[in-house]
Amino acid sequence: MRIAGLAASVGISALSLLVLSAPASAQADCKAVVQPSPFGPDDQTGATNRVTPAVTKAAAAEIQTGVVTSMANPLVDGIPLFGTRFSKTILSSFAITPGAEYGNNKLSYMEDTYLSQSHVGTHIDGMGHIGIQDCYYNQTPMGKYVTQNYLKRLGLENIKTFATRGVIIDAVKVFQAAGKLKANPACKTPCLDAGSLITEADLQAGLKMYNVTLREADAVFINTGWGDLFKQWPAQNATYNKGEPGISESAALWLASQKVVLVGADTWAVEVIPGEREDIAFPVHKTLITDNGIHIIENVRTDLISDVAAKTGRATFFLSMTVPKAVGTTGTFVNIEAIQ
Amino acid sequence: MTSRPVLRRRAFLAALLACGVGPSRAEARHFRIALANVDETPGVTLEGLGFTGSDLRRSFELAARTLPVDMLYFDNAGDPGRAVANAEAAIAAKVDLLIEYNADAEANAEIARRLAAAAIPALALVDPLPGAPLYGPDNRVAGRIAGRALGDFARETWPDEQVLGVLIGDLAEPSAAISDRVQGITEGVHESLPSLKLASLDTGGQPVRADALLTKFLQTQRGERLLIASLDDLAAVYAKNAIEMNRRQSDCIIVSQGLDPNIHGGASEKKEIDPNNRGSVVLGSVAYYMDRYGYDVLPLALRLLAGEKLPPRTATQHKLVTAANVFREYPPFDMN
Repeated sequence: MRIAGLAASVGISALSLLVLSAPASAQADCKAVVQPSPFGPDDQTGATNRVTPAVTKAAAAEIQTGVVTSMANPLVDGIPLFGTRFSKTILSSFAITPGAEYGNNKLSYMEDTYLSQSHVGTHIDGMGHIGIQDCYYNQTPMGKYVTQNYLKRLGLENIKTFATRGVIIDAVKVFQAAGKLKANPACKTPCLDAGSLITEADLQAGLKMYNVTLREADAVFINTGWGDLFKQWPAQNATYNKGEPGISESAALWLASQKVVLVGADTWAVEVIPGEREDIAFPVHKTLITDNGIHIIENVRTDLISDVAAKTGRATFFLSMTVPKAVGTTGTFVNIEAIQ
Repeated sequence: MTSRPVLRRRAFLAALLACGVGPSRAEARHFRIALANVDETPGVTLEGLGFTGSDLRRSFELAARTLPVDMLYFDNAGDPGRAVANAEAAIAAKVDLLIEYNADAEANAEIARRLAAAAIPALALVDPLPGAPLYGPDNRVAGRIAGRALGDFARETWPDEQVLGVLIGDLAEPSAAISDRVQGITEGVHESLPSLKLASLDTGGQPVRADALLTKFLQTQRGERLLIASLDDLAAVYAKNAIEMNRRQSDCIIVSQGLDPNIHGGASEKKEIDPNNRGSVVLGSVAYYMDRYGYDVLPLALRLLAGEKLPPRTATQHKLVTAANVFREYPPFDMN
């Protein structure tokens, strides 16, 4: 998600430091604000603690045909981004200049410099991304652990693995079946409209559609069709960013009760925007990340795996997604593949 | 986060339970509720503020998502005849309740008569409908909040200096809303500064004129600090421009009315009232929440349908919103 005040933009970061570190003397009582981790008072890992060897082994049984389906969008200049957020690369190609090659074999090379914020494109929200005041996952008083460059707790390096079973829930089909899918002229393929609430009943209907029962450590992805707008970049960037369909707070609580490790969607925040309550900011983020240590994955490309599920009747897969051990960071762009 | 809506919802749920309409029964029945909106014509704003009819309607659409209601929407288009026809259409559609927002008293009397004949209850928005509970702004209270804020600012910032008050906006507009706001502002500022004189700059309904009017005024007032009460946010933005162009930022402070999208934005859509703009001459604006009416009014409608007797008038809970609390009142979810 892309939230001002918590964002990684330079200007906002400076403000965040002021806002977060200055009130260190007036911190909230984090024990009253955030739930404790079920994995112990020192835990910084969150829900990936649930991905045990047994879980990974069981997930491996999902690989039956070897077919791999991409679930990531391209990361390129022009895709929908939050306001002034940016993601650019600079190519260092000096070594291909004649005479600059290395050795008699004239070896040349090129490299890239990323000038990018981390919460762009298909990306993961880490435990350090969302809090209430300065209280983050596992009742961590984050004001004590913020430096100018990184977090001293809850960074992405603490994640274990996402080698688990993935499940796709096709909310478009659920809404179509329930007769509540409204036409959205901006989408070239059927999509839920901005502000459409996906409830736990909708999620359960989507699971039932493919005869799937969630199990502990599953990675849940939701296809809302909204990603169709992402694919149209830059033409529909403003529409894409202005709102989105998404899960309700109670649906998030239900997913948390199922002990999943992540929730992803083809939207920029996973949760319904505008939210259910006009004065509450991103409650699903708080519920999943801050209270339950469950990662959120945004801007996921869910249409392809949804198509596969519709054709094959299989809505489960082995999840291939790794996260760099970028110490002290709050999120990063990721690649995701569904292996069946 | 503010506790206002939380308390409001708790009270609403408690009332539902008290009336025997617990969640299971509320879920069991979906009510058909019609909103006859005052005017959804593009460009038309409501009550001298920057909100539009579509802002108001959208708030009902959003609030309805989590309530046991099926909504029907009508646009009165500012036309009394059409308002009566829309009410007739709502009656024909056998709605359980009509929410009427129409300024014409004569048409409202006729609508009330027809609804009574059809035994359909009603709620009135902003303008009274005979026999129906009314929900709307309390312009005098809102004005008083702004006046107090200006007075408090002057007392704390310019305690020993010569201060003059300025009212700017569509002052000649004959509605009670405007006169109530002006009265409230005057009362509020006089609580701190009883002898303060207030000058009037009438924009004639064209907020852009605030710029030229204030520019001219500033050139005649060089030794005084100015407490500027704007009747709407757009006029406040133009007034601010005049202050900056005349380099009088250290002499002036503005408090406005509305907190509409002219003056506050979102995470990226930076506007005047913003956490990163705390030094602005626009101290704040009094919120009217017209883009959230649905969240307040639909629970009232359900209480009425549950058999509860509502007070004759329920007022919006106005609040001064500044750079310090704007993101609490309006969490920035618009990512553009």
